[in-house]
Amino acid sequence: MSIWVDVARASAALNVVVLFVLSAIWARNYLTFRSKHAIGLLVFGVFLLAENALALYMYIVDPTLSGWFATDVPVIAWRLMMLLHVFETVGLAFLAWITID
Amino acid sequence: MEAVLWYVLTGTRGGENRVRILRTIEEQPRNANQLAESLDLDYKTVRHHLDVLMDNDVVQRSGDDYGAVYLPSPRCRANWETVETIIERID
Repeated sequence: MSIWVDVARASAALNVVVLFVLSAIWARNYLTFRSKHAIGLLVFGVFLLAENALALYMYIVDPTLSGWFATDVPVIAWRLMMLLHVFETVGLAFLAWITID
Repeated sequence: MEAVLWYVLTGTRGGENRVRILRTIEEQPRNANQLAESLDLDYKTVRHHLDVLMDNDVVQRSGDDYGAVYLPSPRCRANWETVETIIERID
Protein backbone atom coordinates (compact mmCIF):
# COMPACT_ATOMS: atom_id res chain seq x y z
CA MET A 1 0.00 0.00 0.00
CA SER A 2 1.00 3.62 0.00
CA ILE A 3 2.56 5.95 2.51
CA TRP A 4 -0.89 7.41 3.31
CA VAL A 5 -1.81 4.27 5.19
CA ASP A 6 1.26 4.46 7.39
CA VAL A 7 0.81 8.16 8.08
CA ALA A 8 -2.85 7.63 9.01
CA ARG A 9 -1.96 4.80 11.36
CA ALA A 10 0.97 6.67 12.91
CA SER A 11 -1.01 9.83 13.56
CA ALA A 12 -3.94 7.86 15.00
CA ALA A 13 -1.46 6.17 17.35
CA LEU A 14 0.06 9.54 18.27
CA ASN A 15 -3.43 10.92 18.93
CA VAL A 16 -4.09 8.06 21.32
CA VAL A 17 -0.91 8.83 23.29
CA VAL A 18 -1.51 12.59 23.44
CA LEU A 19 -5.17 12.14 24.41
CA PHE A 20 -4.20 9.70 27.12
CA VAL A 21 -1.80 12.23 28.65
CA LEU A 22 -4.32 15.09 28.36
CA SER A 23 -7.15 13.01 29.82
CA ALA A 24 -4.93 12.02 32.74
CA ILE A 25 -4.21 15.71 33.49
CA TRP A 26 -7.90 16.63 33.22
CA ALA A 27 -8.97 13.65 35.35
CA ARG A 28 -6.50 14.61 38.06
CA ASN A 29 -7.71 18.21 37.95
CA TYR A 30 -11.31 17.05 38.12
CA LEU A 31 -10.50 15.09 41.27
CA THR A 32 -8.87 18.22 42.74
CA PHE A 33 -11.35 20.89 41.70
CA ARG A 34 -14.58 19.04 40.87
CA SER A 35 -15.20 21.74 38.28
CA LYS A 36 -17.47 21.32 35.31
CA HIS A 37 -14.67 22.81 33.24
CA ALA A 38 -12.34 19.95 34.07
CA ILE A 39 -15.01 17.27 33.61
CA GLY A 40 -15.99 18.82 30.27
CA LEU A 41 -12.43 18.58 29.01
CA LEU A 42 -12.18 15.05 30.37
CA VAL A 43 -15.34 13.90 28.55
CA PHE A 44 -14.03 15.42 25.33
CA GLY A 45 -10.64 13.74 25.82
CA VAL A 46 -12.06 10.32 26.60
CA PHE A 47 -14.42 10.23 23.61
CA LEU A 48 -11.76 11.43 21.18
CA LEU A 49 -9.45 8.83 22.69
CA ALA A 50 -12.09 6.16 22.08
CA GLU A 51 -12.49 7.32 18.49
CA ASN A 52 -8.78 7.09 17.76
CA ALA A 53 -8.38 3.79 19.57
CA LEU A 54 -11.27 2.38 17.53
CA ALA A 55 -9.66 3.62 14.30
CA LEU A 56 -6.37 1.94 15.25
CA TYR A 57 -8.24 -1.25 16.07
CA MET A 58 -9.90 -1.24 12.65
CA TYR A 59 -6.68 -0.40 10.81
CA ILE A 60 -4.36 -2.84 12.55
CA VAL A 61 -5.92 -5.35 14.94
CA ASP A 62 -9.31 -6.56 13.79
CA PRO A 63 -8.75 -9.67 11.65
CA THR A 64 -11.39 -8.89 9.04
CA LEU A 65 -11.34 -5.11 8.95
CA SER A 66 -7.56 -4.68 9.05
CA GLY A 67 -7.18 -6.95 6.03
CA TRP A 68 -9.87 -5.04 4.21
CA PHE A 69 -8.39 -1.63 5.06
CA ALA A 70 -4.93 -2.85 4.02
CA THR A 71 -5.92 -4.22 0.61
CA ASP A 72 -9.32 -3.07 -0.62
CA VAL A 73 -9.53 0.58 0.37
CA PRO A 74 -8.61 2.89 -2.54
CA VAL A 75 -5.75 5.35 -2.17
CA ILE A 76 -8.00 8.40 -2.38
CA ALA A 77 -9.94 7.22 0.68
CA TRP A 78 -6.71 6.65 2.60
CA ARG A 79 -5.47 10.11 1.68
CA LEU A 80 -8.58 11.70 3.09
CA MET A 81 -8.52 9.56 6.22
CA MET A 82 -4.88 10.44 6.69
CA LEU A 83 -5.83 14.12 6.45
CA LEU A 84 -8.49 13.69 9.14
CA HIS A 85 -6.03 12.08 11.53
CA VAL A 86 -3.25 14.55 10.80
CA PHE A 87 -5.55 17.56 11.30
CA GLU A 88 -6.50 16.03 14.61
CA THR A 89 -2.86 15.50 15.56
CA VAL A 90 -2.02 19.13 14.85
CA GLY A 91 -5.02 20.35 16.85
CA LEU A 92 -4.16 18.06 19.74
CA ALA A 93 -0.51 19.10 19.71
CA PHE A 94 -1.65 22.67 20.15
CA LEU A 95 -4.04 21.73 22.93
CA ALA A 96 -1.30 19.74 24.64
CA TRP A 97 1.02 22.72 24.42
CA ILE A 98 -1.37 24.99 26.31
CA THR A 99 -2.54 22.32 28.75
CA ILE A 100 0.86 21.00 29.81
CA ASP A 101 2.30 24.52 29.91
CA MET B 1 -12.48 36.53 32.37
CA GLU B 2 -14.36 33.84 34.28
CA ALA B 3 -13.70 31.29 31.56
CA VAL B 4 -10.03 32.28 31.50
CA LEU B 5 -9.79 31.73 35.25
CA TRP B 6 -11.50 28.35 35.09
CA TYR B 7 -9.26 27.24 32.26
CA VAL B 8 -5.93 28.56 33.52
CA LEU B 9 -6.57 27.42 37.09
CA THR B 10 -8.45 24.13 36.67
CA GLY B 11 -7.78 22.98 33.10
CA THR B 12 -4.01 22.85 32.99
CA ARG B 13 -1.30 20.74 34.53
CA GLY B 14 0.04 23.61 36.66
CA GLY B 15 -3.40 24.78 37.77
CA GLU B 16 -3.10 23.85 41.41
CA ASN B 17 0.19 25.73 41.86
CA ARG B 18 -1.24 28.73 40.02
CA VAL B 19 -4.10 28.82 42.51
CA ARG B 20 -1.63 28.69 45.39
CA ILE B 21 0.37 31.56 43.87
CA LEU B 22 -2.76 33.65 43.36
CA ARG B 23 -3.93 33.04 46.92
CA THR B 24 -0.53 34.04 48.28
CA ILE B 25 -0.15 37.28 46.33
CA GLU B 26 -3.71 38.28 47.17
CA GLU B 27 -2.73 38.27 50.83
CA GLN B 28 0.31 40.34 50.05
CA PRO B 29 2.14 41.13 46.80
CA ARG B 30 5.42 39.25 46.53
CA ASN B 31 8.26 38.76 44.12
CA ALA B 32 9.06 35.47 42.44
CA ASN B 33 11.77 34.63 44.93
CA GLN B 34 9.54 35.09 47.96
CA LEU B 35 6.82 33.06 46.28
CA ALA B 36 9.21 30.21 45.57
CA GLU B 37 10.21 30.19 49.20
CA SER B 38 6.80 30.43 50.80
CA LEU B 39 5.26 27.83 48.47
CA ASP B 40 8.30 25.57 48.45
CA LEU B 41 8.46 25.60 44.65
CA ASP B 42 11.35 25.90 42.23
CA TYR B 43 12.10 29.53 41.30
CA LYS B 44 11.86 28.74 37.59
CA THR B 45 8.51 27.03 38.08
CA VAL B 46 7.18 30.11 39.83
CA ARG B 47 8.48 32.39 37.10
CA HIS B 48 6.86 30.22 34.46
CA HIS B 49 3.47 30.24 36.22
CA LEU B 50 3.68 34.00 36.73
CA ASP B 51 4.39 34.45 33.02
CA VAL B 52 1.33 32.39 32.10
CA LEU B 53 -0.80 34.29 34.60
CA MET B 54 0.46 37.63 33.23
CA ASP B 55 -0.16 36.46 29.66
CA ASN B 56 -3.78 35.93 30.61
CA ASP B 57 -4.04 39.17 32.57
CA VAL B 58 -4.68 37.35 35.84
CA VAL B 59 -1.75 38.95 37.64
CA GLN B 60 0.22 42.11 37.05
CA ARG B 61 3.73 43.18 37.89
CA SER B 62 4.64 46.24 39.83
CA GLY B 63 8.15 47.63 39.96
CA ASP B 64 11.28 47.01 37.97
CA ASP B 65 12.40 43.77 36.41
CA TYR B 66 14.53 42.62 39.26
CA GLY B 67 12.60 41.98 42.43
CA ALA B 68 9.34 43.20 40.94
CA VAL B 69 6.33 42.18 43.00
CA TYR B 70 3.27 40.50 41.55
CA LEU B 71 -0.34 41.18 42.47
CA PRO B 72 -3.76 40.19 41.14
CA SER B 73 -4.79 42.28 38.12
CA PRO B 74 -7.88 44.53 38.29
CA ARG B 75 -9.73 42.10 36.03
CA CYS B 76 -8.86 39.26 38.36
CA ARG B 77 -10.01 41.23 41.39
CA ALA B 78 -13.29 42.03 39.63
CA ASN B 79 -13.83 38.27 39.38
CA TRP B 80 -12.40 37.33 42.73
CA GLU B 81 -15.56 35.36 43.62
CA THR B 82 -14.66 32.86 40.92
CA VAL B 83 -11.13 32.56 42.28
CA GLU B 84 -12.52 31.98 45.76
CA THR B 85 -14.82 29.25 44.50
CA ILE B 86 -11.81 27.55 42.92
CA ILE B 87 -9.65 27.99 46.04
CA GLU B 88 -12.35 26.40 48.21
CA ARG B 89 -12.29 23.27 46.09
CA ILE B 90 -8.64 22.58 46.81
CA ASP B 91 -8.99 22.56 50.58
